[in-house]
Amino acid sequence: MKVVELVDVSKIYQTEFYEVKALENVSLDVEEGGFVVIMGPSGSGKSTLLNLIGCLDKPTSGKVLINGVETINLSDKELTELRRDTIGFIFQTYNLIPTLSALENVELPMIFKGLSRHERRRRAKKLLSVVGLEREVDRKPKELSGGQQQRVAIARALANDPKILLCDEPTGNLDTKSGEQVMSIIKEQNEERGVTVILVTHDPTLAKYGNFVIRLRDGKIESIEGG
Amino acid sequence: MYLELARRNLQRAKVRSLLAIIGILIGVMAISAIGIFGESLKATVLESFEDVANELIVGPNYYAGYRYIDEKDVYQIEKLPYVESAIPVKSDTLLVESKKLKAYLQIYGLTEKDAEELFDAEKGIIRLKGSCVVGKNLAETWDIKVNSKITINSREFRVAGILEDTGARFDINPSTALIVSQDDFDKISDEGYTMVIVKADRLDHVDNVKKAIEERLNSREDKVYVFELSIILERINEAFSQINIFLMAIASISLLVAGVSILNIMLMSTIERTKEIGVMRAIGAYRTTILKIFLLEAAILGIIGSSIGSVLSLVGGYAIDYIILQNVKYVFQPGILFYLLLGFSVGLTTAVISGLYPAWRASRLEPIEALRFE
Repeated sequence: MKVVELVDVSKIYQTEFYEVKALENVSLDVEEGGFVVIMGPSGSGKSTLLNLIGCLDKPTSGKVLINGVETINLSDKELTELRRDTIGFIFQTYNLIPTLSALENVELPMIFKGLSRHERRRRAKKLLSVVGLEREVDRKPKELSGGQQQRVAIARALANDPKILLCDEPTGNLDTKSGEQVMSIIKEQNEERGVTVILVTHDPTLAKYGNFVIRLRDGKIESIEGG
Repeated sequence: MYLELARRNLQRAKVRSLLAIIGILIGVMAISAIGIFGESLKATVLESFEDVANELIVGPNYYAGYRYIDEKDVYQIEKLPYVESAIPVKSDTLLVESKKLKAYLQIYGLTEKDAEELFDAEKGIIRLKGSCVVGKNLAETWDIKVNSKITINSREFRVAGILEDTGARFDINPSTALIVSQDDFDKISDEGYTMVIVKADRLDHVDNVKKAIEERLNSREDKVYVFELSIILERINEAFSQINIFLMAIASISLLVAGVSILNIMLMSTIERTKEIGVMRAIGAYRTTILKIFLLEAAILGIIGSSIGSVLSLVGGYAIDYIILQNVKYVFQPGILFYLLLGFSVGLTTAVISGLYPAWRASRLEPIEALRFE
């Protein structure tokens, strides 16, 4: 089953004096359980592609289907719910909420979903132990290392049991060892739980984790390897 | 949890939150304390008129050609239902001389019994047989003491007593009055009864007495006019309430300033937390959730500031009453609760209204734009 389907998608940023074609007629299918690595130089449209899949942005033309649902006509509320229930985000800069502890950060998406306090506590603790942070539950982000923060972010991304995990340069700010740790957790989620992973990076060493490697250049797909 | 999140966000910028709270606190304190003072002032003034509230003054209708009230009419008034007492008063403006001064003053002729009912003596006694009593103010300005001698219309009187200043009256002012017996009055003046001070047995019978007097005495012609003092009390009450509203409106300007400071603080906070808002929106927060968090922050500032402000306004009200009225007994009256609640609710409302725009702005941020914010 296709969890992500892009049909002839273009994204053009219009400024007062010129327009930027961030993506041009991109079509792409990602099957459930796939691990797709999207590579390309800066400005190639990687992040734009990820944002469109993550329902954070809308295409100028073309169709984006997530889990079989066409996103173009969804209201803000419906898009929010789609993101909350189907997609998990992992950002390069972790983006944890600084006032909340590790446990509370993981709980946050479950609060937005309306889970009971008991249920979300139980689940958040379990997820933190999956990423190896059972001892750090009460620590605030600033009391954690970069690698630990990114692991908390992974636990948060998995909070509502998403089908798709979108990773934007997840190891970009980490040392090699922490980066490998983070990648192995993501890979584990993909292999053991069947979570579809779409990962954007310009680090060529991450290509080995994907079933597919898509290379972008100037807003167009240059090549698709693997499969 | 949203409440907890809001609380922690405020704790992040402690000094800023504290300043916002102080702003609200001062505004609420100003409103409530002034409200308390106004209420105390009103109560103090009304209290001084309490004795005369159930009084009516009956006077001759000069416009219809009546100069005096007949003895027969006075008798009729006394016999009316709900009338507790009717005190007829003669008055005239006569030449008064003491050792040093002489002037034309208002002289009242009363029976000794009636004078005793209306006034108390501060010095000496109220005795009107061949003597007179004078008001405190008059005694001071004329340097009159008990047993001093004064001449009224060439007739000598010994001062038997000086009246206690029992607060304002509308019939005879106890601080400037000069009272002689009615017998003596007849010897120095030809004037008759120019006023009857009627006391109703209860405040709520004042209207009935007024109607009865008018029906009885004015059936054929308008011989007398009847003036209820309770009307004056109502007017005083209204006037003080208006003054109070005006003062509180001035005080609320300080709350307006506090509101602008909350608006400013929260707008700064929205900008600083743009990326965080983007993250929350990305992981499943509705626009309304963001709105709720920011409004809760404003409400927390409002609740803390208004609560402390309300408590401190009691201290403020106490201080103002002590300094200006030299009387603090009205600070802890149940009626004051209204001003505390008013200050609290105006403070809280100001905080929430000030938080509305920043909260709305935060909730309108597009997640993608917010996430890109550095």
